[in-house]
Amino acid sequence: MKRNTFFGFVTPSLIVMVGLMVLPLLASLVLGLHRITIRNLRAPAWIGLQNYEDVLSDPRFWDSLEFTLIFIAVTVPIRMLLGLAFALLLDQIVKWRGFFIAGSLMPFVLTPVVGTLIFRDLFDIGGPLSYVLNELFNFRMIWNTVNVRVLIIIHSLWVSTPFAMIVFFAGLQTLPKERLEAARVDGASWLKQLRHIAIPHLYSLFVFVALISTMDSYRVLDSVLVLTRQNPQIDARTVMYYSFLTAVEFRRWGKANAMSIITVVGIFIVLIPFLIMTYRDQLQED
Amino acid sequence: MEHTKSQTARIIIYIILALFMIYSIFPFGWTILNSIKLPKDATGSIPKIPGQFEATGQNYSSLWLNVSEADAAQVGFVLLILLVLLALLGLFAGRLPWPNSYTYTGIVLSVVGIVLVLPSMVDTAEFYDYLINSVIVTIGTLAVSLSIGALAGYGLARYRYLISVIILVLALAFRALPSISFVLPFFYLGQISGLYDTHILLIFCLVATNQPFTIWMLRSFFMEIPREIEEAAMMDGAGRLRAFLLVIVPIVWPGIITTGLFTLLLAYNDFLLARILMQTNWTLPVGIAQFTGGEDPGHVTLAAAASVSVTLPIICVIIFFQKYLIRGLASGAVKG
Repeated sequence: MKRNTFFGFVTPSLIVMVGLMVLPLLASLVLGLHRITIRNLRAPAWIGLQNYEDVLSDPRFWDSLEFTLIFIAVTVPIRMLLGLAFALLLDQIVKWRGFFIAGSLMPFVLTPVVGTLIFRDLFDIGGPLSYVLNELFNFRMIWNTVNVRVLIIIHSLWVSTPFAMIVFFAGLQTLPKERLEAARVDGASWLKQLRHIAIPHLYSLFVFVALISTMDSYRVLDSVLVLTRQNPQIDARTVMYYSFLTAVEFRRWGKANAMSIITVVGIFIVLIPFLIMTYRDQLQED
Repeated sequence: MEHTKSQTARIIIYIILALFMIYSIFPFGWTILNSIKLPKDATGSIPKIPGQFEATGQNYSSLWLNVSEADAAQVGFVLLILLVLLALLGLFAGRLPWPNSYTYTGIVLSVVGIVLVLPSMVDTAEFYDYLINSVIVTIGTLAVSLSIGALAGYGLARYRYLISVIILVLALAFRALPSISFVLPFFYLGQISGLYDTHILLIFCLVATNQPFTIWMLRSFFMEIPREIEEAAMMDGAGRLRAFLLVIVPIVWPGIITTGLFTLLLAYNDFLLARILMQTNWTLPVGIAQFTGGEDPGHVTLAAAASVSVTLPIICVIIFFQKYLIRGLASGAVKG
């Protein structure tokens, strides 16, 4: 393909991406240096790094960052372990595989706001789970910070375990047949096969799922909005949700932009090794 | 890997998987029950199972229509028959003398047609407007995103030089960023330019945030096609674009459907962008979020009816296109 033809094909997409992602990000950088309220929308006041100081000295920002990191640290490993466990179980059976996979996708395809609402009703008054918890464990579901945080975590696992399961299950189907056969002839147990053949083979998928699920955990917003009922008393804010609140509820657009730039820088720092890895992979493919 | 030979182990595996299934599906089943309860049956301290309450269609009719209950029942009945007919058509698509995809496209178009025509025949409620906005935004996003994404994905699959790699890696980096980083300036620019609260702004923002994923995924499908195929077409005198449209696109069509499914889910399910960029033209997820705050007991059953209504279209789409979705998830092409 000639260079000009290539640009012919790629340009529409590039225009959209540059125009609607790169430029907004640069705009965000500029807006973050201004004080913007609903009154001075057309003539924002330049205040330099004041917004960044505001963000970094805001205890609620640090609280939200702390919860976000706890959330990632808890959900990512559990999700991967559960996903792998269910993938291995699914790999053991033949009948009804399609049915199990299709059913497990239910929480994954639900609109996040809807899925969380559904999930919340189970624990609400009149919900079956709050009833069971009360009857069997004498535990009354109260919507306080700790309980809501736990619910946000459980909900996240409910939604995204199927994704990990399906990716790992697909990976298990590509294991080298000859090596498994050889191992079986040598009398290696199932556990040994798992440890010495399957897990090394799936390694790149583990990295892939860990990366995706870290990113997904980072951007969780809808479930926080629904499960906290937008109640300011419940401190289960993630960074995303706090940026959203700062912009939409408090209408501090300058500060929200500064927060978003800090987020972007943080994500890029984490991401750089993966980007370099991908870059090398792609160069080698040619 | 090797299957276990023990019968007991197999039974245990099936039981665990069945429990997993219940855990995945039960919450939605419960919501269906709630959606046909009266508020007083849904908010008592003891949950009521079928047989303990009287079923009602009141939540659905007050959610969707501004007409009397008897009229609403008639409208609902006619719609149900139409949808069942379309579903039957879909089930027997394989027996019809033309490709399945034509039938499916026809079904989708008829459903969209019904949705758009209905308000001119009966008095619909506000929630219906959210549905129309959702349909417009989802279809707009699908059309724009897939067409420019397919062009770019093909270009990136065929032109293998440094510039392609750089574009791909940068796209991946942007995929990792949360959409709130792009949408905040857009709220601002939208306000200034007057595009705020229009479908077009939301569609293009959704297209942009989806584009990195779309080009990665489509590129991987284009790379599976040997170059010889379009080279043969071009030898016959077709230009690159003609060869692409007439020869390559039909071959890669399943891949485009797979990518389209993910785009559809993302556009239809999006809450954040629509919430920030729309003032009055709400989409369904934003409309439903109004039931999320507060403690009004009437909201529980209404929210349940809304949840079921919003989810049914997705379930229909997934039932028809399930294998594409699973293939897409499994391909690992979901790089971000």
